[in-house]
Amino acid sequence: MNRLKLSLSQKIGFSLLLVLVLYSAGATFLQAGDSASQNLSHILSAPDGQFWLGTDHYGRNMWLRLAEALQLSLMMAVLCVLTASITGVTLGVLAATRGHTLDRLLDFVVTLILALPGLVLVLIFAAIAPGSFLVLYIAIALIQWIEYFRVTRAIVQRLAVSPAVQSSKLMGFDNWYLFKRHYWPVIAPQLFPLAAFGAANAVLMMASLGFVSVGIQPPTAELGQMIVELFPYYSEAPWLLAQPLIVLAMFVLACHLCGKGAEQ
Amino acid sequence: MNLITTHELAVYAGETQLLQPMSLTLSAGERLTILGQTGSGKSLLAQAIMGNLPSSLRCTGQVELFGETVEERFRPALWGNKLSLLPQEPWNALSPLMKVGNQLVETYRWVAGQKKAQAQANAEQVLTDYGLASSDHKRVDELSGGMAQRVAIACAMAGGAPVLLADEPTKGLDVSRRDQVVQLLLKQSDQGALVTITHDVAVARQIGGRVMVMKQGVLVEDGQAEEVLNTPQHPYTQSLIEADPVRWPKGSETHFAEQGDALIQVNQLAIGRGNTILVSDLNFTVHTGEVIGVVGDSGCGKSTLGDTLLNLTPAMAGRVERFSSADQYRWQKLYQDPTAAVSHAVSLRTLLMDMVSLHKVDTDRIEPLMARLGLDDDLLNRTASQISGGELQRFCMLRVLLLDPVFLFADEPTSRLDPITTREVSQLLVDAAKEQGCAVMLVSHDPALIEKRCDRVIQLTT
Repeated sequence: MNRLKLSLSQKIGFSLLLVLVLYSAGATFLQAGDSASQNLSHILSAPDGQFWLGTDHYGRNMWLRLAEALQLSLMMAVLCVLTASITGVTLGVLAATRGHTLDRLLDFVVTLILALPGLVLVLIFAAIAPGSFLVLYIAIALIQWIEYFRVTRAIVQRLAVSPAVQSSKLMGFDNWYLFKRHYWPVIAPQLFPLAAFGAANAVLMMASLGFVSVGIQPPTAELGQMIVELFPYYSEAPWLLAQPLIVLAMFVLACHLCGKGAEQ
Repeated sequence: MNLITTHELAVYAGETQLLQPMSLTLSAGERLTILGQTGSGKSLLAQAIMGNLPSSLRCTGQVELFGETVEERFRPALWGNKLSLLPQEPWNALSPLMKVGNQLVETYRWVAGQKKAQAQANAEQVLTDYGLASSDHKRVDELSGGMAQRVAIACAMAGGAPVLLADEPTKGLDVSRRDQVVQLLLKQSDQGALVTITHDVAVARQIGGRVMVMKQGVLVEDGQAEEVLNTPQHPYTQSLIEADPVRWPKGSETHFAEQGDALIQVNQLAIGRGNTILVSDLNFTVHTGEVIGVVGDSGCGKSTLGDTLLNLTPAMAGRVERFSSADQYRWQKLYQDPTAAVSHAVSLRTLLMDMVSLHKVDTDRIEPLMARLGLDDDLLNRTASQISGGELQRFCMLRVLLLDPVFLFADEPTSRLDPITTREVSQLLVDAAKEQGCAVMLVSHDPALIEKRCDRVIQLTT
């Protein structure tokens, strides 16, 4: 019942997110063309009837490039959240319920990963295989599952020794039932804010790597990389630099608004 | 002088009346006991006088304190020094992080406004008087229920308030601890006024003074303690007094001594948690159809005994032999706190059906058993958080009894229930043992209940 009740900030957050998703998915239907073809006779143009958001320093269509970059970011966010949460929750439940050895082992792995700052780890991965979406995704998910793991483990450790779980075990219910009826209902409300902030972080991380040119490589459009490419033209064409920045800010804001309401 | 006077004090939730308009007066040296089952509006009256009702509730009428009318929003200024509340569940009322000595010192310093040295001296004195001198440096979680309640009383009285409202001060305490707490409360009432809220008739008897009996927000009987408790007029008061285990009939018709076969045999058993042995050298045999009482001080290993017999905790030494090959799920346990023993995420019907489909229980058996347990079908549509503790405990019994248990360990199943429900629940346990041939071990801190319900008793001593 509570899950359906959205706070005002969540409503705003979800609306913003919806706008971004619709734009990224529908941009090509509204304006024909492609994001990579250059037109050097028409560079750094202001938004007009033909190019709704103008063109960049190679004369590429910004409306389409921005949509493509956003698609990539959204995909990364969804993939990272899904992978990290499924891995984190599964390992968290196992660590809390499957004995001391596994718990110690996972704790060791987590401490190992936490010893390095997250972005540095992603940088190392990105440096090994620059421009690979797959490697970036693995690196970001590798950092993000830890939060889910730690939250889940803490909750399940407490629940696993509760009379309710003991009673269900005595009645002969299996582990899947314990997860379904006892663990998941308590974990689920905690996951949503984690997922919202995680999505924002994944997108920011990918943009940061693009900004230092070890992320997704040109000509594929990516938000961070677009920012750094358009940076030299900020005085002649400030509207161009503003576009990826605004989209990035909108996405992060939307995620944080969604996550904020869920905490209360 | 009248310390408390209420004029037509009533409590509403929206348009629903939770507490009928009440007018009462209480002067210095007087004692008032409000008696009733859980959910009868007793605590609401105390909260309405204190002025700490939840914001969703609305209060009408007037409260006069110390001779003048005080609006609800000015009453917090009187808390501690003039008006003090001893809340239910001392664990929730005290800080879990501070040592109890420091909590009491702080109350003397900041509520009573004493100098540091004097506050420390006072706190030390009071802790010694209450027999808590050695617990000065302990945190609340290291104390037993009785000790924590004594600390809470000490804190409630430290501000020197002449009026003390005690909300279920003896809930969950065994008899000797209960008597200690009552004595402390009586000492307080010599100087001021004492309002006690309880469902325990014995407590009302010990405190004396005036008694008000309440049922669902309505005052049903009012008068001097001896009069009301010895010659109750209202049927509700009568049933409440009859429900006191001391007054239960010794159930000779339910207790046929005829014993079944041996079910569990325990030889030289030592039980404990972690590396600590709690009790050793236990030798006894449990027979089918038998009700065995388990008694002992709190923390002496009663629950651990159950866990050991149910194979939930390994035995430290000795042997537990089972003479029945019944499936593991027919060895069951009832919990002290039913709200902690079921999932709150889904409706009770879902929980029940989960179990029915897992063990292929005959669904035709559900309805008659529910009727016997006094459970409405409607109730199953709610979740565990939406029904009372008594109802939930009966739901837990429903689930357990549907499994045809061969052994049932009931770990203080009634300590959080009021006397009327306690009588029903404990009677049902005995019936289950006799009719289904199930062996029941009943843990309780109430000697009267054990005496009336059990065939024999195992005393645990460390």
